[in-house]
Amino acid sequence: MFGQQHGSYSRLQRLLERAWALAGGVSVRTKILGIVLTLTTILGLGVTLQVRAVMERVFIVELESRGVSVASDLAARSADPILLNDNYALYQLLTETVANHPDALYAYVLTPDGEVLVHTFGDAGFPVGLLNLEAEGQATDSQTPVVKTVFQSEEGIVHDFAAPIFEGRSGTVHLGLTETRLHSVINAVTGQMLLTTLAVAVVGILAAMLLTWLLTRPILDLVSTTREVGKGNLSVRAPHWADDEIGDLADAFNQMVSDLESSRQALWEKEAARTRLLEQLITAQEEERKRIARELHDGVGQSLTSLIVGMKLAHQVENGAAMEEHLAELRRFATATLEQVRLLSRQLRPSVLDDLGLSAALERYCEEFEQLYPGIMVDVHCDLPERLPPPVETSLYRIIQEAMTNAARHSGCSTISVLVLRRNGSVQAIIEDDGRGFDPAQARREGRSVGIHGMAERAELVGGHMDIESSSDGTTVYVEVPVEEPRDGADSAV
Amino acid sequence: MFLLTAVLLTGCSTARADSLPYVDLSVRTPLPATRASQIVPLRLAVAAIISPQGNVESYSDLAEYLGRHLGRPVELVQRRTYAEVNELVASRAVDLAFVCTSAYIDGHDRFGMELLAAPEINGELVYYSELIVPASSTAQSIADLQGKTFAFTDPMSFSGRVYPSYLVKQLGYQPDEFFGRTFFTYSHDRAIEAVAAGIADGAAVDSLVLDYAIRRQPELEARLKVIHRSPAFGIPPVVVPPDLPPKQKVRLRELLLSMHEDVEGRVILSELGIDRFVPISDDAYQAIRKLISETGVMR
Repeated sequence: MFGQQHGSYSRLQRLLERAWALAGGVSVRTKILGIVLTLTTILGLGVTLQVRAVMERVFIVELESRGVSVASDLAARSADPILLNDNYALYQLLTETVANHPDALYAYVLTPDGEVLVHTFGDAGFPVGLLNLEAEGQATDSQTPVVKTVFQSEEGIVHDFAAPIFEGRSGTVHLGLTETRLHSVINAVTGQMLLTTLAVAVVGILAAMLLTWLLTRPILDLVSTTREVGKGNLSVRAPHWADDEIGDLADAFNQMVSDLESSRQALWEKEAARTRLLEQLITAQEEERKRIARELHDGVGQSLTSLIVGMKLAHQVENGAAMEEHLAELRRFATATLEQVRLLSRQLRPSVLDDLGLSAALERYCEEFEQLYPGIMVDVHCDLPERLPPPVETSLYRIIQEAMTNAARHSGCSTISVLVLRRNGSVQAIIEDDGRGFDPAQARREGRSVGIHGMAERAELVGGHMDIESSSDGTTVYVEVPVEEPRDGADSAV
Repeated sequence: MFLLTAVLLTGCSTARADSLPYVDLSVRTPLPATRASQIVPLRLAVAAIISPQGNVESYSDLAEYLGRHLGRPVELVQRRTYAEVNELVASRAVDLAFVCTSAYIDGHDRFGMELLAAPEINGELVYYSELIVPASSTAQSIADLQGKTFAFTDPMSFSGRVYPSYLVKQLGYQPDEFFGRTFFTYSHDRAIEAVAAGIADGAAVDSLVLDYAIRRQPELEARLKVIHRSPAFGIPPVVVPPDLPPKQKVRLRELLLSMHEDVEGRVILSELGIDRFVPISDDAYQAIRKLISETGVMR
């Protein structure tokens, strides 16, 4: 039992799979056409069959009630002619009745003895088969004495109605009604309905074709656009046909392509800036080397040369007091030289950053900055409770250094304020000046922005980002770099 | 698919036909000629004083009674008009006939129709022509029916046509001009029905038929009223053709005249409202003959 069920279930599944493979293997056009045609045909045929069945039932009931009433009427009107022995009037009555009822095939009158008195079959005689049919008659409902018999003949199905005349004392009148007209009406209606079904199917096919065209055309367009994009042409766009799901898909697709294009553009710009940065970095490095070489040669070198000359001269000094003074002079000179070397070293890499952290380094830098640019007031506020990871400290230091240098060099500002603070898992640095401002986008486009680009690069290297807002009232540089939150207590104590 | 449907549809109708008996309507045989009966029936004609079905109901028991006593079947013959029945009598196509008075006069005067007997009803051998109108009618006499629709019974009927025509003539009119419209009902009970139903504004009918009809359908009395009654006239007789063998004529007369003497005959007679059959002579109809010739409608 269970095995059978299982077997039939898997058979059903196989059948469904096969049907799905068949349905899935054809194009959308064929699917829609198939659905439309199937539905139209099922509906049309179903309705036709049902209407046919109902019509047949109703018509036969109607035919029978008509037969009963016509036969009863005929019987009532036959009584007098029979009693008056007026066979011609009787014949006329029967023929006229048959002629006036399109369904009537024949009428005849039997005498009480069962002899045919008058009939409408004409000269050729009376079909004797009808007389043998009598026994098979079935009584109708008790309200009418009319007896119904249904038989088959070469004229189709015939309903025979036998109505007693004058309570049977004057015989019986028989009326035969055929179903021919009934069937021709039903067939005509069926034909009309099938034609309508056909017409609806044709309209359905046309509509389905239009629908398919409407549905598949944007999809095909989308496919070809996708292929074009795949080849690298990002300027193509899928046409937006309608405000439906496919239109949404096309819009989403176009958005994706345009995002792709702009991100590729950004990538390309970044690449170009990087290249420029690299070139300038190399140049800057050479410049730096030149400067260090010059510093060393002109400063430290000169100082050391002077020291060497001074020491050589010391031999020639005989006087002890003069000697003392000379040595003191040399020591001062050597100390100055050492200071010179230290400054050079600090400029190259502030050891305070490594030793004391970003706050101290920034404060030291600002002091030096104010000495270098006496006209600019610098306000530093650095609120960092503990040390940041070294790469973050270095990056922020260099970004702030670059931003301040840029402001001092280009903006003509009088005040620079620097704010560094920690907030929600990140470090924010805000560098504001009150200079004349500039257009960052334009600067980027014109390739004048190696410094800015370098700042952005540095921020991105440590996972952060940089924004520049600039107006005629000044420029603000925001930098935000994410850092891990310190674990409570333990770390802050270190 | 459409082909499939067609097959399906024709399938439905043939399935029903299979269970039905088959009659080949093309196998025809000429009808056998009416059987010539060994025994010649006595043919009894009843004039359409009342409708054919009414006659069958009234006279079939009498016909059966006669047949039983004569030892041969009696066939009841009817025709639409009095004239046709008279023709049957004249051509000897019937052996016995119940006819109307004026039909008797016509038959007697034209071809010697012979009186056999007459029914005695309520002890009398007379009847009347009664002028009836619907119960709602305001007519008081024949004069009030001028311009109205009038139903005659049979062209040859005395009580239904001759007498009302006589009344109109007395007023100084021709019947065709006097009434707005006339028609024939060919029997008295139909004329009664026509007036009761309001199809005719008036009719003159045989008083015996009216009494009989009211006895059978008492509600008729409320729908009709009699506004005029004629003088008494000789009752419609039973007649025989002039050349009926005398033996047979005697046998028939004896049978009729003695009907009231046995129980069975009395029952049948009382059904018909007849006391008994009595002999009658042509004198009884002189008054009618005179009136017919005065009125002249039957010529």
